[in-house]
Amino acid sequence: MSVEVRNLIKKFGNFTALDNVSLKVESGELVALLGPSGSGKTTLLRIIAGLEFPDNPEATVAYYGEDVTRVSASHRKAGFAFQHYALFRHMSVFENIAFGLRVRPAATRPSDAEIRQRVDKLLKLIQLEPLAKRFPSQLSGGQRQRVALARALAVEPKVLLLDEPFGALDAKVRKELRRWLRQLHDEIHITTLFVTHDQEEALEVADRVAILRDGRIEQIGTPEEIYDHPASPFVYDFLGNVNLFSGRVKDGGVVIGETEFELPGKTGEVNAAAVAFVRPHDIRITREPSGTKTFPARVIRSNAAGPVANLELARLDGGDSFTVQLSKELFQELQPKAGEQVYVELKNVRVFSDDYSI
Amino acid sequence: MPAKNIVGKKTRVLPGFHLTLGYTLLYLSLIVLIPLSAVVWKTTSLTWHEFWQVVTMPQALAAYRLSFGVSFLAALVNGIFGLIVAWVLVRYNFFGKRIVDALVDLPFALPTAVAGITLAYIYGPHGWIGGVLEPMGIKVANTRLGIFVALTFIGLPFIVRTVQPVIEDLDPELEEAAASMGATRWQTFWRVIFPVLSPALLTGFSLSFARALGEYGSVVFISSNIPMKTQILPLLIMSELDGFQIGKATALAVVMLVISFVLLLTINILQWWTSRHQQHN
Amino acid sequence: MSAIHLPSRQGNSRHSTTEPAWVRRSLIAIALLFIGAFLVVPLASVFAQAFAKGAGYYWQAITEPLAVASIKLTLLTAAVAVPLNCVFGVAAAWAIAKFEFRGKSLLLTAIDLPFSISPVISGLIYVLVFGGQGWLGLYRDADHPWFPWFQTWLNDHDIKIIYAVPGIILATIFVTFPFVARELIPLMQAQGRSEEEAARVLGASGWQTFWRVTLPNIKWGLLYGIILCNARAMGEFGAVSVVSGHIRGETNTIPLHVEVLYDGYDFAGAFAVASVLTFLALVTLAVKTWVEHKNAALNAATENS
Repeated sequence: MSVEVRNLIKKFGNFTALDNVSLKVESGELVALLGPSGSGKTTLLRIIAGLEFPDNPEATVAYYGEDVTRVSASHRKAGFAFQHYALFRHMSVFENIAFGLRVRPAATRPSDAEIRQRVDKLLKLIQLEPLAKRFPSQLSGGQRQRVALARALAVEPKVLLLDEPFGALDAKVRKELRRWLRQLHDEIHITTLFVTHDQEEALEVADRVAILRDGRIEQIGTPEEIYDHPASPFVYDFLGNVNLFSGRVKDGGVVIGETEFELPGKTGEVNAAAVAFVRPHDIRITREPSGTKTFPARVIRSNAAGPVANLELARLDGGDSFTVQLSKELFQELQPKAGEQVYVELKNVRVFSDDYSI
Repeated sequence: MPAKNIVGKKTRVLPGFHLTLGYTLLYLSLIVLIPLSAVVWKTTSLTWHEFWQVVTMPQALAAYRLSFGVSFLAALVNGIFGLIVAWVLVRYNFFGKRIVDALVDLPFALPTAVAGITLAYIYGPHGWIGGVLEPMGIKVANTRLGIFVALTFIGLPFIVRTVQPVIEDLDPELEEAAASMGATRWQTFWRVIFPVLSPALLTGFSLSFARALGEYGSVVFISSNIPMKTQILPLLIMSELDGFQIGKATALAVVMLVISFVLLLTINILQWWTSRHQQHN
Repeated sequence: MSAIHLPSRQGNSRHSTTEPAWVRRSLIAIALLFIGAFLVVPLASVFAQAFAKGAGYYWQAITEPLAVASIKLTLLTAAVAVPLNCVFGVAAAWAIAKFEFRGKSLLLTAIDLPFSISPVISGLIYVLVFGGQGWLGLYRDADHPWFPWFQTWLNDHDIKIIYAVPGIILATIFVTFPFVARELIPLMQAQGRSEEEAARVLGASGWQTFWRVTLPNIKWGLLYGIILCNARAMGEFGAVSVVSGHIRGETNTIPLHVEVLYDGYDFAGAFAVASVLTFLALVTLAVKTWVEHKNAALNAATENS
């Protein structure tokens, strides 16, 4: 266990940023803290770094079993990369990276030659050797982020903490840099936590993803686990586009309009109003009805630009509108036009209600 | 882990909060707050009746009228010309613009005594400007007009420096939109630009007015300092002090302090309102 | 309440909508005439009058013993007031810009107070505290003081504050009190805390963070605050006039010496000494323009990230 926090509570005035949060991170793991703004993810990361402190005395933060709850940030040996990099604007790239070594007490400070060697190695790692003498203002956003990472790594931290590491970058650089981060992590295997509000980023890069909502961890698991088995409507909604169908739960299934869909593995006698969640790519469209498994809908709009085609449909029986994603091939075959009627089949239907969820 | 690495119960990442805030409050109290409270202490040695007599004596009433009237006029003139200067500095290019821009702050940087003797000299009967005006029958030095000149001089930067950044931040699309809807340049200025500038203009006016009310050094040389005629309020306080009438001077100082605090409050509210207004844009 | 938070001026883009040429020229002419009449003419006249009786007289006026004594006193006053207000300014800006606490806006208003008070009152309050009829004066002559040793000490050492050098220094500290703080607070607020936090996480101590990260970032603003504070400290007239006592050669600062010469109809001498202060003002303006340029360049780095 490399990082463990227990029972963290943190309030800012009336706003509860963290509401009794506990989290364990294994050694060498890359964990994403994912959530909307205000969910407490950055506060959690800052408490782990020692930049904020929990309100309640029983809260604990431990690195490799050592209690660091009341240890100041400067003695925790965490590497932290700030959302807007926080590079020292009056220092060159080289001096930024060397800073953590230069401020060590004389007894443990490496010699100038050693510092040079270590910074050069890090510059090589981030592929910015030619820019060592530049100042932060002369770098692009992606380069600044890499310098910020190198600076955090220079002190040989026990854990690496990244706050929205790609948040301020444009889409293309984001994708490049997150792949680079994953490769870097596979090389150096340092325990890493990073905060993001981008679910695609979290699912692509992380070993495990913790989803936060209103100061609580809603669910934690591998990307596959949380995507395929979301624990709540919130997680389901947050991890991608989703359609909501109001219906009723019945034994072994859910009834939407007149059509019953099976909920595999579910038994028990319930008959209650419920909302069914279906992802746009889990909806099939046919020209002909197929027994009791489909219901009719009208095409409102179709758009085939991009790698997949998107349709907007409205239920004929209820009026709920929903979106469907289908492959280009299927779209060519069906040629759905606005105003036409089609039949809809739902797969992987999930239902959440207070006492009942699958 | 050594004890010195453990932070206390009240935890902050950056150190020195209590030290710096404590020092700030101590120094503020010693230099500003305690000496200021001496004014209140001294005033309580007067009875209410005595206090009222001092602050409503004819000399004082004349000084209030003169100080308010001339400061208001000076701030008004600065409002008009300051707006023009700020506009010209932001929007147009001309030879010597950078020097003019730097010079605007001269009244801040020039000691008031220097400004005082200089203005008194050039507007005096033998001065560069006074020598021209006096044969025409316009006397400046030793008249109320002289006080006006001095107060205009010292208030000039306030308007320019509060309005200038707002003109810089004006969204060009606003004016383009107005122009595209057929507004003339004059209509655009009055209906689109002026309303955006007006809070800053009002703030600058108040700052300039407040500075003029308290001004001493630049006025003392150009004013003949005749009671009831050319004696502004700070000069009246000074003449009471010179006559060792400390109680009287303190009573008048209380009136000035109250006026200053009301103006300070007004300015703070205006600035708060301006910043809120700008955020909404 | 002063010139101290002047924004940088760069955004000077040409607008597609602009005034007719005759309007532009008229406005430029009005602005230049106004600036000329109110600023350039006085500035030129200082130097013209200073040299009205020739360079020899000028040199004599600024090197005569009384002038030298006033220059020494002014330098001493600034040498005490500026460092004290500088330390205060940095401490206040650190507390206000880097931390959140209740009553912050009240504190900011209190720091601004000396700017909104007439110089005459700034001097008067020290007369009320230390003068013969003031707090300490009454204490000193009281029959039953609270701290007898303090009374004895004051009497033994014959400590004089009002109408003496300490009063001049105190009044100067008061009128220049906000300059450094007002320059640094907005600057440090705009720069935020993240660079300091980064330094802390990287293991820097509090002092290391301040000296290596904070100070280099605020050095131009600090320099500008010091320059402004110094200009006002050397040029203050009203407040110092109240507490000085006007003893020639002892308690006259440069501006007070100028007054003495002017009132004695030695105009060339008065303007000669005044030209020294005017030169200081011009240097202040030059440094201000330069510092604004430097600050804009330094801050551009973080703003466009």
